[in-house]
Amino acid sequence: MKKWISILCSAAMLALLLAGCGGGNEASGSGENGGEKVSISIWHNWTGQDAKAVAMRKIIEDFRAEHPEIEVVDEGLPTDGLKTRLRTVAAADEMPDLFVMWPDAMTKEFVKGDLLQPINEELDANPDWKNNFIPNALDGYTVDGKIYSVPMNLAPSSFIYYNDALFKKYNVKVPETWEELGTAIQTFNDNGVIPIALGNKANWVAQSTFFSTVGDRITGTDWFLKAVEQDGAKFTDPEFVEALTTFQKLGELKAFQDGFNSLDETQMMQLYFQGNAAMVVNGGWALANLVNNAPPEVLDNTHITIVPTIAGGKGAPDTTAGVVGTGLGVSKKLTGARKEAAMKLFYAMAGPDGQKATLDSSTLVSYNIELDKSKAHPLFVELYDLIQRVKIVPVYDSKLGSATVEVVNNGLQELLMGGKAEDIARKIQDAQAAAVAAN
Amino acid sequence: MNALRSKRFIITGLLPALVIYSLFVFVPVIWSAYYGFFNWSGIGEAKYTGLSNYAEILRDPVFWRALKNNVVFVLASVFGQIPLALALAVLLHKSNLLQRFLRSAIFLPMVLSTVVIGMIWQYIYHPQIGILNFLLDALGLSSWKLQWLSDGKIAIYSLIPPLIWSYVGLYLIIFMSALQNIPGEIHDAAKIDGVSGVRKLLSISLPMIKNTVQVAVVLCISGSLKSFDLVYIMTKGGPAHATELLATYMYNSTFSTYRYGFGSAISTSIMIISLLLIGTSQWLTNRKKDAA
Repeated sequence: MKKWISILCSAAMLALLLAGCGGGNEASGSGENGGEKVSISIWHNWTGQDAKAVAMRKIIEDFRAEHPEIEVVDEGLPTDGLKTRLRTVAAADEMPDLFVMWPDAMTKEFVKGDLLQPINEELDANPDWKNNFIPNALDGYTVDGKIYSVPMNLAPSSFIYYNDALFKKYNVKVPETWEELGTAIQTFNDNGVIPIALGNKANWVAQSTFFSTVGDRITGTDWFLKAVEQDGAKFTDPEFVEALTTFQKLGELKAFQDGFNSLDETQMMQLYFQGNAAMVVNGGWALANLVNNAPPEVLDNTHITIVPTIAGGKGAPDTTAGVVGTGLGVSKKLTGARKEAAMKLFYAMAGPDGQKATLDSSTLVSYNIELDKSKAHPLFVELYDLIQRVKIVPVYDSKLGSATVEVVNNGLQELLMGGKAEDIARKIQDAQAAAVAAN
Repeated sequence: MNALRSKRFIITGLLPALVIYSLFVFVPVIWSAYYGFFNWSGIGEAKYTGLSNYAEILRDPVFWRALKNNVVFVLASVFGQIPLALALAVLLHKSNLLQRFLRSAIFLPMVLSTVVIGMIWQYIYHPQIGILNFLLDALGLSSWKLQWLSDGKIAIYSLIPPLIWSYVGLYLIIFMSALQNIPGEIHDAAKIDGVSGVRKLLSISLPMIKNTVQVAVVLCISGSLKSFDLVYIMTKGGPAHATELLATYMYNSTFSTYRYGFGSAISTSIMIISLLLIGTSQWLTNRKKDAA
């Protein structure tokens, strides 16, 4: 018996020991090889089995086959891990040669930390490439007139995916105005169907997929950008408080299922897949998940629309929140042959061929190319057509400082639990004012 | 001469462990305390700001909420895990088949990863398909049904059962081995004196393992002050900071909002609070010993 205990104990100790060993932050190996072969490192988040990750990994493979003289050392990390890891190596000034990075806040911080080099030369040398990006696509990567990267995809963050079979069954109109949305919620609740599935445990979901659009509908984009700069607008302004109140009322109408603050995004999609929810609000990225995992009776009835218009709001109607997608950062330290090799890989991934491969993997791009509609999934064609006619407005977490984003995200959780809109607006205002003052 | 040599031997023996320990424990602690005086986003220049991080912590309502939640966790552990483990150890320290089975069953969560424990309990509490609400329905107690993890008022208490459940096995093993270490002669002497049952438990067994209990209390306090993983997996500190603990508060400040200096100041505060609490508990138990 005692032996048994000691085995168990040592097993437990071993487990603890191993747990303690995880998560180191070793430096990246990007040293120059002595021989002719040039070695470059790239960090990315294409680790999954989804079409886009597979397509991106294939580009790297093809690049290796085509350029035997270049050794590509690639390291894939899950998205959250990559973000944290990049911060860690940034603190130690040991960036990999190329790395997937996000526009706006992250790009700005890395430029401020003197970690990136601009790619203006390469872009100007190839105007066909540069001029084919959709309007404003490069803004998020431009700091002080210098362009540091180009987006490799487009991430609209706010669409309503709806189950048309449920709408037909209960004779509900797909909402185009806020009042119609209210009626739809009422009808679905009366019939025991969840109107909108929401999983807001990782608290960015409500902010990124829903509130950013609601906010823009009411306050307008100009107001928001001014409030971000704290220049002539404040988050305590009545229009923002009204946006919060509007969103809160949605919660009071029971638009979301019980316990939405304890479910994650996966569980939210499950509720929709099971046919228990009539709608789910999520980004363009949810489409791949839907196509791969939703049962046919739900998938075949799923269509996509944008968040309804709000009467009296200052925002333009045909818009949805979003952000241009990730780009590749180029380390400041790259020079000579290694820089040349890195830029070749950069072009292979973010140039016209790379953009086409991305679009073919059912991912929207910020680049003008026609979709081959015969090959794509009908739902992706629907999304592609929709995005041609709606304009992208900034999603909150791409423009606000990271500390403010945390306050907004937590504030929205509090709001949906019955918190006071004015108090939450004040907290957001204080956080953003502090962030602007610190810069 | 001999004493000197053995002293030297002891020092040489301890040296490797000491060096590794100070390298990986003391140095980072001091380093982090040092960062606590800076405003640093992890990238670029750190700006010396003196005590302003600490002042901000003291003014931040989220910190006080996290501290309160941590105190709830400490109390739940000390007054939940330890008495429960002690009772179970007394009941289960013999070895028939049922007791062996129960012991393994109680120890089982210790070999499960916290992620697994978190997932299991998340599904127990699940608002739509959770077994707990389902059971309450089946028992006709539908009015007791709650949104266990998403109602900010009760979420922190909903985390206590998984917390107790996951660690009670460890203390059970510690207490059982302590009970088994009581020398047989003492039991024999007790038998001769005609002591048995509850009296024997209270006057002989418990006082004999008192030091172990004391160690367990320290482990319990420091363990629950450090607790992070279970909460991070089940609620991520939410909704709206309702289940924020000092460790999740520190993690979120450092890695979600990229305020390394502020996060370091929180870590240092956690260490000070832990030392205070452990010191108090030691003082309390020692004082009792002196009085007795």
